[in-house]
Amino acid sequence: MSPILGGRKGSHHLLMGNEAIARGALEAGVSVATGYPGTPSSEIVERLAGVSREHNLYVEWSVNEKVALEVAAAASFAGLRSLCVMKQNGVNVASDFLLHLAGSGTRGGMVLVPCDDPGALSSANEGESRHFARLVEIPLLEPGDFQQAKDMIKWAFELSEEIRNIVMVRSVTRLSHASGKVTFGELSQLNTRAFFNHDGSPPNPMQGAVLSFPVALKHSQQQQKVQQAIERFEKSPFNTYSGPQKPELLIITSSTCHLYSKEAIHLLDLADRVGLLNMGTTWPLPSQLMKQYLATTDKILIVEEVIPFLEEEVKILATELAPQIGLKIFHGKRDGSLPSVGELNPDLVAETLAKIFNEEYIAVPEAYAARANEHTSSELPGRDLTFCPGCPHRATFWSIHTVLQLDNRKGFVCGDIGCYSLAMLPSGYSALKTLHSMGSGTGLASGFGKLGQFEMDQPVLAVSGDSTFYHAVMPALINSVHHRSNLILVILDNSGTAMTGFQPHPGRPIDAAGNEAHRIDIPSICEAIGAKVKISDPFNLHHTQQTLIELIEDKPGVKVLVLKQICALSPEKKAQKMYEMTIDETICLGENCGCNRLCTRVFKCPGLNWDINKRVSRIDEVICAGCGFCEGICPAGAIRKKEVA
Amino acid sequence: MMRVLGSNELVEDVFANDLCIGCGACVNLCPYYKNHKGKTTRLFACDLNEGRCYAFCPKTEVDMDELSKRIWGLPYDGGPIGNYRQVLSARAGEEMHQGSFQAGGTVSSLITFALKVDIIDAAALTDREGTTPVPRLVTNWEDVVTCASTKFMASPTLAALNTGIDKGFTSLGVVGTPCQMTAAAQMRTNPMQKSDFADPIALTVGLFCNWSLDARQLTTLLSVKCNISKIRGMNIPPPPADMLILQTDDGRIDIPLSEVKPLIPHTCFICPDMTSEWSDVSVGMFEGRPGWNTLIVRSEEGANLIEKACESGYLQTEKIPEKYLSNLCKAAGEKKARTLRMLVRRDLVNTEGKQCSAVRMPSNVVNKILNR
Repeated sequence: MSPILGGRKGSHHLLMGNEAIARGALEAGVSVATGYPGTPSSEIVERLAGVSREHNLYVEWSVNEKVALEVAAAASFAGLRSLCVMKQNGVNVASDFLLHLAGSGTRGGMVLVPCDDPGALSSANEGESRHFARLVEIPLLEPGDFQQAKDMIKWAFELSEEIRNIVMVRSVTRLSHASGKVTFGELSQLNTRAFFNHDGSPPNPMQGAVLSFPVALKHSQQQQKVQQAIERFEKSPFNTYSGPQKPELLIITSSTCHLYSKEAIHLLDLADRVGLLNMGTTWPLPSQLMKQYLATTDKILIVEEVIPFLEEEVKILATELAPQIGLKIFHGKRDGSLPSVGELNPDLVAETLAKIFNEEYIAVPEAYAARANEHTSSELPGRDLTFCPGCPHRATFWSIHTVLQLDNRKGFVCGDIGCYSLAMLPSGYSALKTLHSMGSGTGLASGFGKLGQFEMDQPVLAVSGDSTFYHAVMPALINSVHHRSNLILVILDNSGTAMTGFQPHPGRPIDAAGNEAHRIDIPSICEAIGAKVKISDPFNLHHTQQTLIELIEDKPGVKVLVLKQICALSPEKKAQKMYEMTIDETICLGENCGCNRLCTRVFKCPGLNWDINKRVSRIDEVICAGCGFCEGICPAGAIRKKEVA
Repeated sequence: MMRVLGSNELVEDVFANDLCIGCGACVNLCPYYKNHKGKTTRLFACDLNEGRCYAFCPKTEVDMDELSKRIWGLPYDGGPIGNYRQVLSARAGEEMHQGSFQAGGTVSSLITFALKVDIIDAAALTDREGTTPVPRLVTNWEDVVTCASTKFMASPTLAALNTGIDKGFTSLGVVGTPCQMTAAAQMRTNPMQKSDFADPIALTVGLFCNWSLDARQLTTLLSVKCNISKIRGMNIPPPPADMLILQTDDGRIDIPLSEVKPLIPHTCFICPDMTSEWSDVSVGMFEGRPGWNTLIVRSEEGANLIEKACESGYLQTEKIPEKYLSNLCKAAGEKKARTLRMLVRRDLVNTEGKQCSAVRMPSNVVNKILNR
């Protein structure tokens, strides 16, 4: 039994933030859940998919975030409650539809859950979804702990149905991926008959066509509904205050920063002097509530992550309320009290508090830090971020790097989003020279490939994972073929959305819930678009390199090389080794191989170790995935492979 | 003492400055240097401070005086055609079987003979794949003629020499251009000062060269002019022809040199050597006498080889007119002076401090060459 289904009302559970959100959706009677995998958001859709049959849900991993939002919106238009989940920059992808959706309004309750990644722990950006709520004028809620993560979802659905618009509930990595105590409520069984009413009179929000037209009228209706939301926010149980009635300093915070602030106050023993206002409803801010607390003191510290969103909103209100509450001194991002990049933590908040109160707080004593640094730099071996043993990407980038060097025209690879983004680092031979958003590698390559007219003759490559291909590469590929650009797109097809945990994509014969799905073949799509297509196995070093050389030396045009090899960690491989690898110690040249240890210094698969006593390489039988690729990279022929029976 | 640095400096001094000619001296010494279609590249960075790749390279830190002392036992004097014993005209003798030689077939004859009588056990030569020149290690004398005829393109021939050494051959022959002869001479002087060093090279046959052509760019040009699979031979006859002449299955195609000369790699303009001064023997065209070569006999081993080859009927030699020799010296001297001016202008000769020189030579020799 899934932890999000098991347990009666009132029972206590240790849940990940994402699981709490999924439970909240079930308690709210959600019918449809969609999303596109992305850390730290993926578990929400995964958990719901896991209970979709028992609970009669429709759950899908959509092709991208925009389509995910559209699929979920359709359910809302037909009267069902729907949830849509994505990581922070997914909202950028969905934002065009989101703007129009906010304009048209929704019917069945609809909640958008973006999970932001301050500090970019698993991202190529630390973008923020909060701004989209303000930009498209929809209510924004931010859970401050695990219980709120669950409870707020249900509350958000109710709010959505009251204002007939989508509501955003924003999580962050430290909430989504940490675990805490959650007390369950009742599971809902709502009436789930879907029907799209569309022939009523157009302005009727529940009966007519769902449109953002007439724009000005609908926009003003939307803004009135936002006012209605503020009224609810004024009384919301998710806005909490703790501390003295007249604090010396008021901290206004939201999300997990609430927990950091609480801990910092405790660390400095300032509970009698500092008030803590945790806002669960962060856009629009409820002005009466804010007025009440802003009036209690003259000094305010706003604690939030990345750029000052809450700070700006508070300052706008404080300016408007100044005649009644007086002038305030603000601390936050804009005066440099807190950093505007990266994650916060209790130490950072405590240091800021200490400064404001002229107290000393040293999170890590200098001598301790120096000793720790000494030990870590002298005793720990340097470890790069690297591909897993047996990862087909290592083989792929070995070949791409080799071929581009042989070609010798300073060719380069435009990177894309997936595990293979690591190829910007030495573990992928630093092959990637650009890395931006999903699909941007091919879009950039399409542009680079048109610069021949300005004497650019560098070979242009782009890489894309299989899931990324469907998500956003296809339009860029169409663009490049249509405009007769000159590029090679290398598709690293490892049979799933591997980085986020093997979620299925349109190239797989199953969907999120394990039901049969129609498989869409990548090479056929590329051929239909008009690209020249070749297929190889990246573990076949010679064939892959030869094919790539031929494509580079072929006449100009758009060429696609599909490199097919299942991810080493894929459940399909069941951790079975294809080959048993051995090293002939009498042949291994060790430090005399090239300038020094080619396999462990340059190739760097974690399955290959350096035997410090024998001065030769050895296979780490536990780590080695038995892919067999390293046999081909050993210049001395010391690495041997034997097929596992 | 010659200055020997590492692979990273080689990349910095030579590759990054577009000075690599692709001679192949660094190829096959380690897993990193490769030549693909005429261009040498390094696959991965290296962490050695000193390397053979750097020591052998003819484009960086070539100490002419040191080299001359080691090879000839004499200081470098900047003479136009280098150290020599005799200059002759030559052609293949009647014992040499026929092939499609460029001129007199002297080079093919000498290598065939040297292999046949075991003066050498293998030869690093230049073959062709399509239009691209490729290195070939030949161990059978009957295979020498397949590599006959001038390629006019930079070729990584010395990669085959390195392969030969790796395979354990101890008396290798090599045919190459002046840059390649410079590299081979540096190899022979044991620049890494290995205690167990034994010179693996038994014979160096140098070719006259004014410049070569970039293999990739020439292939592109030729593929515009004709179907390159139909090319049977190419020739650049002496002035005033001013043409690159292609022999193809569909007949002769003339390409004006004005179209070809832009394909000369810049690095050829920093080469002071026209006649392969560091070889045992050097061979070139004999202007005005088709079917014959000019032959410069330099070393004692070279002289012995010529003598034996003539005795065995593999080579035929004649004296040359004094006027011809002075013309040859004039042309070679002009190239040397032209190059030295370029080296001075680019600050690539006798550079002070940390920066590397392409060439080092005594300052009085610089002045002598520049006639100042």
